[in-house]
Formats: sequence, structure tokens, C-alpha cells
Amino acid sequence: MLHLKSKWLALLGGALIATGSAFAQDSGPLIDILVKKGIVTDQEAEELRVDLVKDFVANTSAGKLNLSSSISELKFSGDLRMRYEYNAQVPELATGAAAVANETSRQRFRLRFNTDVLLQKGFSAGFALETGQGSDSANQTFTGAADDYGVFVAKAYIGWSPNLNWAFVLGKQKNIMYTTDLRWDADINPQGASEIYKSFLTGKDTFEVRAMQHAMQDNNEQVTGAAHRDAWLFEQQAVYTHWFGKDNLSSLIVAAGYSAYNQSVIPTGALNSAAFIGTVRAQNYGTFAGEANLANVNGAGTAFKFYWDSSYNFEASNRAYQVYGLNPALFSKGASAWLAGVGYSYGTGKVMGDYSLKLDYRSVGVAAVDPNMNDSDWGFSKTNQKGFKLALSYNLTDFANFNVTYFDTQIIQHGMTFSLGNLDKSHEVLVDLVVKF
Amino acid sequence: MKKLILLLAALTAVASASAQKLVIKGSDTLGAKLVPTLAEEYKAKNPGVSFEIAAEGSTTGIAAIIDGTAQIGMSSRRAKPTEVSAASAKGVTMKPTIVAFDGIAIIVNAASPITGLTKRQVEQIFAGDITDWSAVGGTPGAISIYTRNTSSGTYSDFKDLAMKKRDYASSSQKMAGNEQIVSEVAKNPSGIGYVGLAYTTEPGIKVIPVDGSRPSKESVLAKKYPYARPTFYYTNGEPTGEAAKFVDFTLSDAGQKIVSRIGFVPIR
Repeated sequence: MLHLKSKWLALLGGALIATGSAFAQDSGPLIDILVKKGIVTDQEAEELRVDLVKDFVANTSAGKLNLSSSISELKFSGDLRMRYEYNAQVPELATGAAAVANETSRQRFRLRFNTDVLLQKGFSAGFALETGQGSDSANQTFTGAADDYGVFVAKAYIGWSPNLNWAFVLGKQKNIMYTTDLRWDADINPQGASEIYKSFLTGKDTFEVRAMQHAMQDNNEQVTGAAHRDAWLFEQQAVYTHWFGKDNLSSLIVAAGYSAYNQSVIPTGALNSAAFIGTVRAQNYGTFAGEANLANVNGAGTAFKFYWDSSYNFEASNRAYQVYGLNPALFSKGASAWLAGVGYSYGTGKVMGDYSLKLDYRSVGVAAVDPNMNDSDWGFSKTNQKGFKLALSYNLTDFANFNVTYFDTQIIQHGMTFSLGNLDKSHEVLVDLVVKF
Repeated sequence: MKKLILLLAALTAVASASAQKLVIKGSDTLGAKLVPTLAEEYKAKNPGVSFEIAAEGSTTGIAAIIDGTAQIGMSSRRAKPTEVSAASAKGVTMKPTIVAFDGIAIIVNAASPITGLTKRQVEQIFAGDITDWSAVGGTPGAISIYTRNTSSGTYSDFKDLAMKKRDYASSSQKMAGNEQIVSEVAKNPSGIGYVGLAYTTEPGIKVIPVDGSRPSKESVLAKKYPYARPTFYYTNGEPTGEAAKFVDFTLSDAGQKIVSRIGFVPIR
């Protein structure tokens, strides 16, 4: 035990230990100053350091952790969502067929847990666990006479960012593309490789080139023909961001991109809502998206947003008539999809009392987006739909949100028997309580 | 009967001699020159004592105290929290005793035109941000960096003191001891490295001031030299027996004179 040789040292030792062991971790500079001022000797300081460390490792949870020295930051995070859902999907029926109500009311939950690690030399790694297996939803419905639920790996990645300009990621990862749920469901974590090059043009402008190679399906190479190839999505995007206005709080983002699939197939087994099982060919999309954010339009902390997204399939004709089998004499190819929305918010969504309201209208041609990737709630990821989405979010506390979302869609081209495009109309209401940790 | 008594006496003497063996492991900075010299002097005054000294880095010295394979662990750095924790788990109390102060000197080849560096430049060179001597006023050419290996206390101390805990440049070459660094820098006109004060008088190298401050007894004791540090003996609690006597000898006036003679800074 430390032999206290002076009242100063007794006071210091007692104060440091009594004020909490976390403080012990930061007390080195303070001890150094006391040594420099001659209040404690070097030897007394060393003994005090050891006592503080011993106290830290013995009496705190953090002191008992033994983390690799290669870790510069370890972050645990996640959220738990309780949801009430009502939806109605009304398919278009042949003349004289019996009406179908097709209503669903259910209670659901979603648990997500993320572990992200920053390592030395610009490396990072992480994984995420969640309660659903389908890539477009981690929800589980309370059912099965109180059976338990599975946990799945939603992300597992290794990243490397050698400097501020470059970032590379391998594995199942967060989508790096700038997009909306017109084309990409926010729950879908692509898998494969991604690269970002970011150029800082001025203090108010950045230009990024983003690319992603998304391994959608591992197929059997022994089978001949297109079915033997692994299915890949290749997406590239240029993103320009400009900050402006007072304190540069307002921003404009413009993103143009191109995505293409190789000649392959998605076989049975895809779990997404309205997944398309079959060939991924004839999908070459040009995309254009962006947003304008105007800060403090109605007082401090308020913001108005206008956002848009669009997609055009350059091979929509082949997709609609050859892959989906539609009759060109009866139906247009439905090559384009677009979304336009407005939003108003107060705060950043991280503090009690913050709120946001968003409303968008969109139209999705039958061959305009990949139905395996688009939002699973709006029209249940079916195409040949038009309609809107209204979303309200309110922060009950800094860590808990109350959200209400309403979707309403209608068919664009009537008379399709093709299942992906025959949804006459749909409605969905989601009421969520989300706790973030 | 006489033979039996003699044999017993001989065995007792051997056993007694082996009980006087002092095992000291750890820092190359302390164990290459200073502690062997102290041991020789101590042996001269205490003929029955023998020493086993292994200088393979501070990490091995602290580990030896935790494992109980040495009575004294030499270290040129403080024990890490994980080491203190591991020691506590085994019922070992890490007791540091400052035996000398040291300044980590920046050395370059004697023929180098460099006459001084800033702390920022030192950090940038050893972290790999600066790779050519021309960036710091030297003769154009790639910088060859020599550092200690990862078991060395000086290796981690230098990262803390000089590099804001950043990683060394991937091109840096890891050397087993101070003498190896001196040897390589003396041969390489583009070389730079760091060594303890005790190694700064070797031929073929020169010490570079950092922010205008040279490592010296005065600048180290006054804590004005930026890369000054204490060096330690670690023991399991208060040292006892022969280990206590050797620690006392090291801290005595006679011991501290040896500290000074070898090139370290005495504690008083």
C-alpha cells in the first residue's frame, strides 16, 4: 500500500480514489503537474499511479475489460422497436371473381444490435445482429404461442480508410449509395465490396464517386447457361454536396448513378417481400436523386426539405415483355419511376421534443426498379403502383421515438395478371415505439 | 563420519549459494549496461551472491514478476493497466521503484547535416508522414527509421511521448536493442533512431536537439527535455531478502554513482 509521506499526497490519493475510478484513468497529467511543482516526489507519484490503476481494474466494470491494443474505439449500439401494423392489399381480380379483403393486423417487434470497431492503420470492422432473416425487414410478428425468435447476422464487414479521401469495405455492409426507398429498402445491407473516393473541392463542396459490387446470389457453377453464374449488381454513383446559408447549415445534394446486373438468376429462397424469383437480366438503370435542405426557415432548429429520386430502366422493354411476360399490345413497358417529397422538421431527431414530418408521392413503372431491392412497405415492394407515403416522428425522450407512417398506393396499368404488377390498391399504417441504445 | 559431515557441509554451502541467486529480467535499456555493472559491484561487496540477468525488453520483465520467475523486473516504462490487472488476479502486487531517469535521445548518422528537429517533425518522421530528409532541411533521400521491437518499453514509451500514440511507419525497422540501433544509424547516412542516454556517446552517431532541448542530466531532471522518463525495478510488493538489498544498493549513493557513470540520470 502506498506510504503517504505528506498531507498533500494523502489528500491527493484520497481525492482521486474517492472521486471515482474513471477519474483515475485521466489523472496522469495531474500527477505530472504535482511532480513538477514538487508537491509529490517521482517515487510517490509512481506508487500513486499503480494504486489508481489497481483501484480502476478492481472496482470498475471498464477496468475488467481486456480489449486488444489494436482497438482505438469500440462502439455498441442498437434499437428495439415495438410496432402495430394494419395493412390491406387488394389485388386486381378477373371480372366476376369473388372480392378479396386481404387485411392484416399484427403486433411486431424488431431488435437490432450493432458492434463497430475502429482499429489501427485506418481499419475498421463490425457486425450487426437482428431478429429477421429477410434482408428487407428485421421484424418478427408476435405469434406461435409465445415461441422464441431467431437472431441473424445482418452485417459483417471489414473496412479500410487510408485517408480522408478513400474508403473501402468488404462484406455485408451498410448501403453506401445515396438513394431513397424508391429503389433501396433502408433495411437491405448489400454484400460484396464498396469503394468511395471523396474530393474536398472547397470548404463548402465535396464530390464523391461511389461504387458497389453487390453479390446477390451464389449459384451452382456446374449448371450450364446463365443460371450457373453468380448474380451481381454493379452500381456506380457521383454525388455532389454543397453547403450554404448562415453557418453553412443548409445543403444541396445531387446524385447521378448507373446500375447494372449480370446475366444470372435469383432462385427460390429469396425471403423479401414480393421477391422476384428468376432472371436478373434486362436491368440497366440510370438514377438521379437529391435533396435540398433549408435550415432555420421558421426559427432556430427548424428545417424544410425537398427531396427526389428517380430511376429509368434502359432495358425496360426486355424486362417487361420477355422477363415478366407482359403483352406489349396491352401494356406499356413502365421504364421510369420517380419520387418527389417535402419534409419539415424541428431539431435533429436526437433530443426530446424534436419532430419531423415527411410526405412524398411516387410512381413506379412495372419494370422501373428491382423489386428485390425497393421498399417492402410501400405497395409491398410491388411495381406498377403510384401513391404516397406520410411519415411523422416525435422524440418522446432523447432516446425514444414515437412514429406513425401511412402508405397508400394504387395500380397504374390495369389488367395485368402478372403478380408483381396486379396490386389494385394497398394501404398500410405503422405505429411504432422505438428505443435506441 | 567425518566424510559424511564434510559432505553435508558442502551440500549446505551449495544450497546456501544457490539461495543467494538473484534473477533479474526485463528492459534492455537497463539490462544491457547499467544493471550488469551494478551487479558486478554488488557481487564484489557480497561474494556469495550470483545474478541471472536477462535483458529482453520491459514487457518480459513485468511478465516475469507476474509469473514469479524473477525477483526483480527491469522496465523502462510503467506497467500497463492490463498488466496490473493480471498481476492482481494472481495475487501479485506490482511495486514500482524508480532507479534512474533516462532521456530518449534522437540520433542520426554523424555525417548528417541535420542540426535539430521539432517535436512535430519527430512525430511525422517516425509515423511515416515525412519520408524524405529534404522535408526537414536534410540532404534529399529516403529516411531510414530504426526503432526498438515491440517487447521494448522504449518502443511504447516513445509512442506515448513523441508520437501521440500513433503507429510507427510501416517502413520502420525493428531492432532488438539500443546497441543495434546505434550500429545501424552509424552505418546509414540516411538513418534516424532513438536510444537511451547511456548510448549517445557511441561513435558514428550524433544526438539531435528536439525543440532546441538536448537530453542531459539537467534537462531530464528539470523535465524540460520532452522525451524524459523514469526507469523502474518492479517487484512483487515491497522487495525482501537479497532483492531488497540489491534495490537499496541501486538507490544508494554508490549505486547512483554507477547510474551516472553509465550515462543515466540519477534520481537525486
